[in-house]
Amino acid sequence: MRRGEARRGWLMALPALAVIALIALGPVLWAVWESLYLHDLRMPWLGRRLIGLRNYVEALSNPRFWEAIGHTVAFAAVSVTLEIVLGLALAVAVDSMTRGRGVVRTAMLLPWAVPTVVVGLVWRFMFETPTGLIWFADPLAAWVPIVLADVWKTTPFVAVLLLAGLQNIERSLYEAAQMDGATAWRQFTGITLPLLKPALLVALVFRTVDAFRVFDVIYVMTGGGPGTATEPIAMYTFSVLLENLRFGYGSALSVMIFGVTFLLALVAIRLMGRGALVEPAP
Amino acid sequence: MQRCFRKPSADITAVIKAVSGHARDGERTIVSVVREIGCALATLLCTAVVLGCARTDPHVLTFAGSAVGREGEAIRRQLDRFQRMHPEIRVEVQSTPDAADHRHQLYVQWLNARAADPDVLQLDVVWAPEFAAAGWILDLDRFRPDVQDFFPATLTATRWNGTLYALPWFVDVGMLYWRTDVMDRAPMNLDELRDQAARGMREHAIPYGFVWQGARYEGLVTVFLEYLGAFGGGILDDHGGVVVDSDRAVAALTSMRDSIYADQFVPALVLTWQEEQARLAFQNGQAVFMRNWPYAYGLLQDPVQSRVAGRFGIAPMPAASGGSPTAALGGSVLAINANSGDVDAAYQLIEYLLEPPQLLDRARIAGQYPPRPTMYESQELEDALRIVPADARRIIEHAVPRPATPIYSELSQILQIAVHRALTRQQEPRDALQRAATDMRALLARTELEGQHP
Repeated sequence: MRRGEARRGWLMALPALAVIALIALGPVLWAVWESLYLHDLRMPWLGRRLIGLRNYVEALSNPRFWEAIGHTVAFAAVSVTLEIVLGLALAVAVDSMTRGRGVVRTAMLLPWAVPTVVVGLVWRFMFETPTGLIWFADPLAAWVPIVLADVWKTTPFVAVLLLAGLQNIERSLYEAAQMDGATAWRQFTGITLPLLKPALLVALVFRTVDAFRVFDVIYVMTGGGPGTATEPIAMYTFSVLLENLRFGYGSALSVMIFGVTFLLALVAIRLMGRGALVEPAP
Repeated sequence: MQRCFRKPSADITAVIKAVSGHARDGERTIVSVVREIGCALATLLCTAVVLGCARTDPHVLTFAGSAVGREGEAIRRQLDRFQRMHPEIRVEVQSTPDAADHRHQLYVQWLNARAADPDVLQLDVVWAPEFAAAGWILDLDRFRPDVQDFFPATLTATRWNGTLYALPWFVDVGMLYWRTDVMDRAPMNLDELRDQAARGMREHAIPYGFVWQGARYEGLVTVFLEYLGAFGGGILDDHGGVVVDSDRAVAALTSMRDSIYADQFVPALVLTWQEEQARLAFQNGQAVFMRNWPYAYGLLQDPVQSRVAGRFGIAPMPAASGGSPTAALGGSVLAINANSGDVDAAYQLIEYLLEPPQLLDRARIAGQYPPRPTMYESQELEDALRIVPADARRIIEHAVPRPATPIYSELSQILQIAVHRALTRQQEPRDALQRAATDMRALLARTELEGQHP
């Protein structure tokens, strides 16, 4: 391409790039800037001072921050694993159906279409038993309804994603394997899994990023309790920013969450670049 | 679609033409167009001036607070009467969210932006020092208010650095509801309460001995405050120092925890309960004792929904040895926006709302307890609240305000977490309170409030 043409290309793309920068980058940069300040809306006598990285130091030396990170990571690991395993089972089952696949596929998506807040409330009511184990007063048991609600809601999403991947696999591969006497399990591990890898990766990345930002389902079910035993990092940030109105410190927390999810997304793009977005070779 | 879009603008042109006297069709000289534009601008300007006048009129007051349900009915009636007495003042009600947290957040946004509206604010009692320290509400000492006839505790809660910033409007106190069909008299101390609860559960087959508010929220802190007082402990001392990790405080929290797991007369369910769950359990006859606010009284006396109507009484929360019966003090206070355009009219309104007849009216309509002790001698208040006023007065006199500090909300958040952790057996009471005390001291240092106190 000639240099002049390239320059003109950039010039033409400039307005669009500027809009993207303004919309996507603007708020992020503003949050980064704000995070360098002491800015407590409710304590105006402290003023609004530039304090460098002190907000970040405060977060990193606060046990509640690390506990919240721990909760988030644990929640993501458990719920995403369950969703992928169950979603895969569901997808394989639906894929092997000979009739009514369309109807099932639509029905399957219903839980996913229910607003998360409603899902959370329904599951909370189910677990608010007047006798027996009090789920929401036990630091470990309180996770059970939360994870169940999340898995119930998002497994269908994973399943549909994987079903699309399954339907891309050439049927003749299975026929050939059968001729060679491969068992069903051997076919699954030898053909299905390797060829489904790109779709699995997409599901994994989407769900992990989502799970890392979990807020609504926990907010309506436990509010982060008992104590702070189910408080994820997004809820801690919410409490700091919107309940205590500590804009500086809250921005520092937001920037850190953004950093982690951004890294996750980058890793995902790199991984997917190696095949996920490309048609699997037949 | 196209037609819909065009029509209004055509109408506007016609109006402008009519106004400017150029409605004749076909005539469109440059002069006429200029005149039309000029006329339109003039109209706009006039509108702006009129609107501007309305906004800067010194005699329009805005009141912000609870304006729904019975409280809304009460305030509207009162404001109508006020306006009839003061024809030169007009009062508008600015409705605010009912949930305390949301209302607080809205107030902070308004006041932080130095808005002149609302002029008069209904504040939760614990917000007064916060807004005072921020410089958002006016000191009221300048009006030399007569504070003789207020419960002393209600005034303590509205002072900051020795200055009065708000006046009490109505009082909320934590009290013990007890079943008159299960025992002859209210328990004198916590041991008696435990024994009577156990006996009631055993002999009357009542499932719960004692229910309170144990979910992780502000209500839990008020219950904890009452136990603290019962054991002679506190959150902050008189000099603003943190004492919530004292031995007495640990004993108080341990007693709360033992009542659930060791003595088992408090169901672990309360750890997820707020006021209404406790009220429903007591109302259905499922509890021997309940700790709750005055609002429950009228509802429990209603035979249509309550199974215990006429079979319960109220008493101060009992104490352990070494402490004293303690009631957490809640309620609302009235304050004036520091940027209000007409502070004298605003103060007139506050004075009016705090007159005994107005407080009585509120008691009658909304069931709220007046902050003036002398009113508790009147038969009228007994009729309005359907309680024995002497009982209520005795409880309010035991009332203890929550720490009057600008950072109360943050302190409370720390305590909510610590107490809930200990009660759900994630931490030992001493460890939980020590961690809370450390966090609270760090908070005081960060906010440069160490050594400052009411």
